[in-house]
Amino acid sequence: MSSFLEVAGLEKRFAERTPGEAAPWVIRDLSFTVAEGEFVTIVGPSGAGKSTILNMIAQVEPPSGGRILLNGVVVLDAHKPVLRPGLDCRIGYVTQDDNLLPWRTLLDNVLFPLEVQGRLDDAARAHARDLLQAVGLNGYERYFPHELSGGMRKRAALIRTLVYDPPVILMDEPFGALDAETRAQLQADLQKLWAMRRKTILFVTHEIAEAIALGSRVLVLKRAPACVIADHAVELPRPRVVDDVLTLPAFVQLYDTIRQVIR
Amino acid sequence: MPAAADARGAAHRWPETSLVNLARLLLVAALVAAWEWGARSLGLLFIAGPLDVLAHIGAIAASGQLWTDLQATLAATAVGFGIGWTVGVVLPFLLSWSPRATRAIEPWVIASMGIPKFALAPLLMMWFGIGLAPKIVIVAFMVFYMVFINTFAGLRSVDRRLVDMARVAGASRGAIATRVVWPSMQPFVFSALKVALPRALSAAIVGEFLVADRGLGHAIEYARQTGDTVGVFAGIAVVTVLVLLMNAALDAIERQMLGWRPKPASTL
Repeated sequence: MSSFLEVAGLEKRFAERTPGEAAPWVIRDLSFTVAEGEFVTIVGPSGAGKSTILNMIAQVEPPSGGRILLNGVVVLDAHKPVLRPGLDCRIGYVTQDDNLLPWRTLLDNVLFPLEVQGRLDDAARAHARDLLQAVGLNGYERYFPHELSGGMRKRAALIRTLVYDPPVILMDEPFGALDAETRAQLQADLQKLWAMRRKTILFVTHEIAEAIALGSRVLVLKRAPACVIADHAVELPRPRVVDDVLTLPAFVQLYDTIRQVIR
Repeated sequence: MPAAADARGAAHRWPETSLVNLARLLLVAALVAAWEWGARSLGLLFIAGPLDVLAHIGAIAASGQLWTDLQATLAATAVGFGIGWTVGVVLPFLLSWSPRATRAIEPWVIASMGIPKFALAPLLMMWFGIGLAPKIVIVAFMVFYMVFINTFAGLRSVDRRLVDMARVAGASRGAIATRVVWPSMQPFVFSALKVALPRALSAAIVGEFLVADRGLGHAIEYARQTGDTVGVFAGIAVVTVLVLLMNAALDAIERQMLGWRPKPASTL
């Protein structure tokens, strides 16, 4: 498969505390590629700099070294640290926190990107309605975030990114801090949405089971300084019901392999 | 006392707002009663009776004097407030785009806040005469500092993550300022408004004490000089009502604009 998103030698270190003393590395020589339409999960222990990796790809945080290419074009170079957050709406980012605007209703939050991009027309509204319907948020459009449950807010944050169709979507443990049931439902929703429109997804999690159950490929990170230490293709049939794949031999085998690497 | 018994029986079924309003009315009644009692015991030279004050207000309203004074005071308040408010909001916004400019300018603004504004009055009269202008300047200064400090605090409180989200979603700098930063700051903006608006009115009135040929402050000061206690009290009463009306209007606007916020916790 040809590479669509390419991360080449990406590096990040802490800011210097005392002048002259070398600051510790968070990420060191991180390289991987993602094909168009691929669903890649990144799994690694807590504190491995997973969020930092996505922040750098989304260009909200500058790298200390390395490059990122999209479609063969260099879009970020540590030597020219001019950040273009979201890369002209080509990279969407679903963060750990839902980051909904508290003064906007659910619908207005979902429409926010289209509004600021000047693309809010009837077709866009209809698209948003379809997506809200697909994740069961219809009927809640006029409520404010603080009135909604955690799961609903996560769904809203997900839809807010999907609604403007960025070719690449980054997800940073979007389903952490949710109860098991809501989480399973959201994982199912995500797979459904991915099946509907094959986006390139880079999904970060610290849970091995989630990484295997969702991804077509799992990248394993080692503890800081982080870099990829294993790259596994996931040979499980789709559509996957997350609860059901947990007992498949292929799943169990991969789970054990990854767990031993991370330990 | 059948009526009182009825009222008590109905009390627990009343909506809470009626109860609060009832309590407010009772407080006002108690205040007026204390006022009347004070007038009778201390004498009318020191404390004018409520009915005399009401009659006086009626008289100046009928003669048109009240409206002339109101107009002058409100004009100074409104124009001064508008200027102080605009500069107080816009300056921190501009500074927020340049941390270097902020570091250069902010300490001077904070230091100049220490200058007592009313002490500038003689200078302002020298520069701007005795008309509306010096009062506008004093009001604007008063308002500017309060708004400036609150706006700065508001800007610093904006959630970085919301701004990043908006940037990734393709929002321009202007869109972020108007759709993320400005709404985030609304609670700060309103607290600034609530503190600054009554102060603006006070500043206009004190300005009129010092030098003026019209305005509520001038009316109060003139009454004092001529030993007209009723006139002084009438002026104070009018100003109090004005402040209450302003606060009620602000509360209504705040409820409208900040309706998205969760209800505040009953205990803090």
